[in-house]
Amino acid sequence: MLRFILRRFAYGLITLWVIVSLTFILMHNLPGDPFANSEKLTPEARAILMKTYGLDQPIWIQYGAYVKKVFSLDLGVSFYYPTRSVNEIIAGTFPTSAQLGLFAITIAVIVGLTLGIIAALNHNKSWDYFAMFTAIVGVSVPAFVIGPLLSYYVGVKLGILPPALWKGPEYWVLPTITLSFTTLATMARMMRTSMLDVINQDYIKTAKSKGLSQITIVFKHTIRNAIMPIITILGPLTVNIITGTLVVEQIFAVPGMGKHFVQSISTNDYTMIMGLTIFYSALLILAIIITDILYGIVDPRIRLSKGGK
Amino acid sequence: MNNILEVKDLKVSFHTYAGEIQAVRGVTFNLKKGEALAIVGESGCGKSVTSQAIMRLIATPPGEIKSGSSILFDGKTDIVKLTDKEMESVRGSEMGMIFQDPMTSLNPTMKVGAQITEGLIKHQGLSKQAARERAIEMLRLVGMPNPEARIDQYPHQFSGGMRQRVMIAIALACNPKLLIADEPTTALDVTIQAQIIDLMRDLQEKTGASIIIITHDLGVVADIAQRVVVMYAGKVVEQGSVDDIFYNPQHPYTWGLLRSVPRLDNDEKEPLVPIEGTPPDLFAPPKGCAFAARCPYAMEICLESDPEIENVSAGHSAACWLLHPNAPKVERPVEVGGHHNG
Ligand SMILES: Nc1ncnc2c1ncn2[C@@H]1O[C@H](COP(=O)(O)OP(=O)(O)O)[C@@H](O)[C@H]1O
Ligand code: SF4
Ligand SMILES: [Mg+2]
Repeated sequence: MLRFILRRFAYGLITLWVIVSLTFILMHNLPGDPFANSEKLTPEARAILMKTYGLDQPIWIQYGAYVKKVFSLDLGVSFYYPTRSVNEIIAGTFPTSAQLGLFAITIAVIVGLTLGIIAALNHNKSWDYFAMFTAIVGVSVPAFVIGPLLSYYVGVKLGILPPALWKGPEYWVLPTITLSFTTLATMARMMRTSMLDVINQDYIKTAKSKGLSQITIVFKHTIRNAIMPIITILGPLTVNIITGTLVVEQIFAVPGMGKHFVQSISTNDYTMIMGLTIFYSALLILAIIITDILYGIVDPRIRLSKGGK
Repeated sequence: MNNILEVKDLKVSFHTYAGEIQAVRGVTFNLKKGEALAIVGESGCGKSVTSQAIMRLIATPPGEIKSGSSILFDGKTDIVKLTDKEMESVRGSEMGMIFQDPMTSLNPTMKVGAQITEGLIKHQGLSKQAARERAIEMLRLVGMPNPEARIDQYPHQFSGGMRQRVMIAIALACNPKLLIADEPTTALDVTIQAQIIDLMRDLQEKTGASIIIITHDLGVVADIAQRVVVMYAGKVVEQGSVDDIFYNPQHPYTWGLLRSVPRLDNDEKEPLVPIEGTPPDLFAPPKGCAFAARCPYAMEICLESDPEIENVSAGHSAACWLLHPNAPKVERPVEVGGHHNG
């Protein structure tokens, strides 16, 4: 098992290096540069800035320097906020996004899976229709509709919870609900499909033929097998949600990472774009490794075929 | 009471969007204690539905065991009338079942040991340790080499034949009085098939369990069964001892079945004669004999009304108008069955 994990990490580093290189190449082939928008800049000042940031160097030297910096965990200084490093910006905003994201994904998993299981066990009965109606609403109504509605009615009109900001537990509730909605619905639908698939498997009939109770069959035989496809998507989904979502963070004025993804692109903030891309990729690679390990724990067939033990 | 099972007028339907499928349309047969009974018939004739009804494994809905059906088990309980909870204590403890495809009938994410012990823990209240010991003993009994190590492995680590042995261990773990095997060898290699049948016969002798075995293979019937039920389109068309069915078959469908499989005793290369045509639509079964459309001997009456079951001799009966005293005498095909003079 340890060898398996170490090997996965080695592959992960190689993947990351490829991503760093690709990002670098792509960024340097985009038109425009970070200082193109600052109209008041004299050509001399511009040249000085380019020199300071090393942008006048041949590309392969810039590349070498960048790779070296990235792998020593330094993502460079933002072009847009010249006084702050990309590391600082991530450190300042990621914890908030991650907290919100983790709350949301936890709720989505717990509620979503429960809904999916209830729906499948009551296939084509009213509970099933109720759960799937909720799921369809969840998938089709976007956060920019649910968010403001919650913020206005629950936050402003009823005044039960703060309508915005991120200052303590009571502030966490509305953004979490909003953010979890779509994911919750996706989870519920996937789990239902997967459960219905497993329920029709021969081994469930075997379990029944042993005289096991309905509850034992559901918990010991059905759910464990039905949850496999969920585990597969859970990793990427979590990374996506904990790195911040512009919409929800804007609606509730949550000081998260979401806006930097958008802002860095509109301002041509090279180091920021690359830094965020690499940060995101690193998280994604980590999530996939964790998914594989989890999968190995839950599904014995994977464990063996990958040579771990 | 020496019948372990008395199935009487069993009718099972499935309610689908397209209408009601009458999968089993009045099946009656008995199974004696310690006896092995084979159910044969083309695929789709209701063999699996019949056997699953006996264990109440038919999902309802869409399935329905029609009122008037009765399945008397061990002289006292009518399976049809038990509550779901009561049924749970019968399944697995008094009856066990083996399914066709050992590749899909074991839970892939659970060690085989746990799959054997869960029934023992539930029905016999064994401790984990005691159940584990019993499971090892069961694995040894079904011919699993090195059971102490194998018990902690997962299904994908076993071959098809070994998985079917695990299934047999599961089905027999609680010493059931009845073992139902639904085409237990169909999915296996020919050499493995014989081993599994030998094992089942051997275990029947050791445990005294009664067996219902569903099979396409008349060789298997001859190997293990004492009695045979021949089914066609949801009904029993003929039943009797193995000798009755092989050497004195009465129903044209049985004749067809016997001609459509290789002869057991004959080295001459005789051509196999498949039965022409297809079984009737179970949404709207014909009012006469269900086999009439394919029967070379069909008469007018056959289309008009369904033949009653007639006794041929003790324990041997068939449902065919040819058995009526006024029916024309028909020479059954000479090549039917085994030794004609024996
Ligand atoms: N769950 C079900 N829903 C609808 N029809 C079914 C179902 N299970 C079985 N049937 C129908 O019942 C008939 C008998 O099936 P079965 O007992 O499986 O045949 P076999 O003799 O091959 O085992 C078939 O026509 C089949 O289509
Ligand atoms: S009743 Fe008639 S149609 Fe049916 S099997 Fe007998 S002879 Fe053939
Ligand atoms: Mg079948």
